[in-house]
Amino acid sequence: MSRAVRPSAPSDHPPGEQPAVLAALREVARDAGVTARVHATRLTGPPGSVAQDDAEPVAIASLYKLPLALVWADLVAAGELAADQRLLLPGRTRVPGPTGVAMLLDDVHLTARDAVRLMLAVSDNACGDAVLALVGPARVHAWLAELGLPPTMVRQGSADETRAVLRDTGTDDWAAAQRTLADPDRAADTSQYDPAFASAATAEQLGRVLRLLWSRTGPAHTLVRDALAHQAWRHRVGSGFPHDDVGLLGKTGTLGRLRHEAAVVGFPHEHPVGVVVLTRAARPERHLPGVDAAIGELARLAVGPLRLPDDA
Amino acid sequence: MDLLKHLRFFRAVADARHFGDAAADLGMTQPPLSQGIIRLERLLGVRLFDRDARGVRITAVGHRLLPAARDLLDAADDLVATAHELAQPEQVRVGVAADLEDGVPGLLRALADGGTPVLPTVAGSVEVVDLLRDGLLDVGVVRHPGVLDGLTAGPVLVVPTQVVGAGVGGGAGTGAGLAGVRLPVAVPPRHHQPPAHDQLVDALRRAGHGGAVLEAHDAAQRRALVAAGAAVGLVPVVAGEGGDSSDGLAGPSLRLRVALPHAAQRRPEVDHAAVAAAIQEAL
Repeated sequence: MSRAVRPSAPSDHPPGEQPAVLAALREVARDAGVTARVHATRLTGPPGSVAQDDAEPVAIASLYKLPLALVWADLVAAGELAADQRLLLPGRTRVPGPTGVAMLLDDVHLTARDAVRLMLAVSDNACGDAVLALVGPARVHAWLAELGLPPTMVRQGSADETRAVLRDTGTDDWAAAQRTLADPDRAADTSQYDPAFASAATAEQLGRVLRLLWSRTGPAHTLVRDALAHQAWRHRVGSGFPHDDVGLLGKTGTLGRLRHEAAVVGFPHEHPVGVVVLTRAARPERHLPGVDAAIGELARLAVGPLRLPDDA
Repeated sequence: MDLLKHLRFFRAVADARHFGDAAADLGMTQPPLSQGIIRLERLLGVRLFDRDARGVRITAVGHRLLPAARDLLDAADDLVATAHELAQPEQVRVGVAADLEDGVPGLLRALADGGTPVLPTVAGSVEVVDLLRDGLLDVGVVRHPGVLDGLTAGPVLVVPTQVVGAGVGGGAGTGAGLAGVRLPVAVPPRHHQPPAHDQLVDALRRAGHGGAVLEAHDAAQRRALVAAGAAVGLVPVVAGEGGDSSDGLAGPSLRLRVALPHAAQRRPEVDHAAVAAAIQEAL
């Protein structure tokens, strides 16, 4: 378990404050009944980060879509893929999901870049699978390796995850699987909670994905960042920054007891700060607003010491 | 020949520096002791003691051999002591959530009656989990759900609960019944197990109660609040205890859930599975 605070260059906060930050992170996690891995990092300007157990790989659920989007944008920028390539997502073969194309009934035609936008903005599982199929798992893995990231970040798409959960819970539809995982009288388990069988990453590695995404110029990466800014919900990291003038770009990942988000917090006239919060709740219920709020609190605590005016 | 017996003679004479005193220390007479020393000297091929008119003195060679003899004898004593300890049934260090209230004595009695010697620690669930992690307990009986990182968790057990207190009639635990209860519910402190506490408050609201709770640090304080009519109680009903009729039982969502975590590094002399099975039986 690493509980390291890497030095942030200018001491714009008093020394000795960061151990207090780590203690506060632990207390919030304990109070919320979660195991939390946190990594916050300044994306521009002098480097600095705050870390709590950020070297522990965990199953990341739909957060696989974030490195997948980075790889897609890199390949578009390299001229290997066309952003406006037309895709057919047949209604008959899609694995149903809760949002976007995955909750529709009929065949859907759309472009690759719109699939990327839906996959990020509403965590559309059908679009996630379509983008993964378009790029190809082998090419995704090779590109991630090239970036120094573990290929297991995108071990599989949403359809494989869904099938594994159905198999593990002995159910044949998603609603029944969710009920089984959420049963308070059991400690229902699934291989998809296990980083060895699911798409998996550490909070620090996802922080590096954010850093790469912010270091790129060009239309494909701008499109990805814009899609993250359009994320349909703001109940996790966003709940820690209830300020209309603070920009928030994020991608959540959710499965049973797992609640994650990788986000970028942009205070006006300050360097943007990437923050990754990966949690596993003790409670199995599907709706735990207290845990979502704790993710916001963890993010606020981790981002605070890294805030720095960008004209400094 | 019995080497350890003869080394004991050697040590006794070396310590007493007198055959008569050494024989007395060993609870024997002097002649067999003297003959024993001679047999040992013959076996080892060295003189251990010089005897003369003034008494007995250990030789230089005897002095050299004495520490090794002492080590052998100490090791033999240790072996016997360890064997005696292992012959006793090992006490299992069980941590029990204080939130089980009146169920605690019954649970421990059932374990004792079942032949499991137990050294109990009653504490809040979070504290029990910390003690398990530090290897200071073998098995825990803690409220579920709670964070159990670093421990091996067993199945979840469900303990029925009963709503007690002034104005609580039969069926109080059903939605309609609890909806009519205006008093707060006396509960253990939230810090004992925050996720389980929050789950209970959500369940109270779901059942139509306002969700107001009074956190009281122990069962006596909760009973006092109930007796004074300041709160109603939600009391675990452990199997074999009481035998109350089922009509006071609270609904399924208000039942108490417990898990039986144990340390990932087990003590080999403790049969964790058997203890967990006995606890499961007792609950």
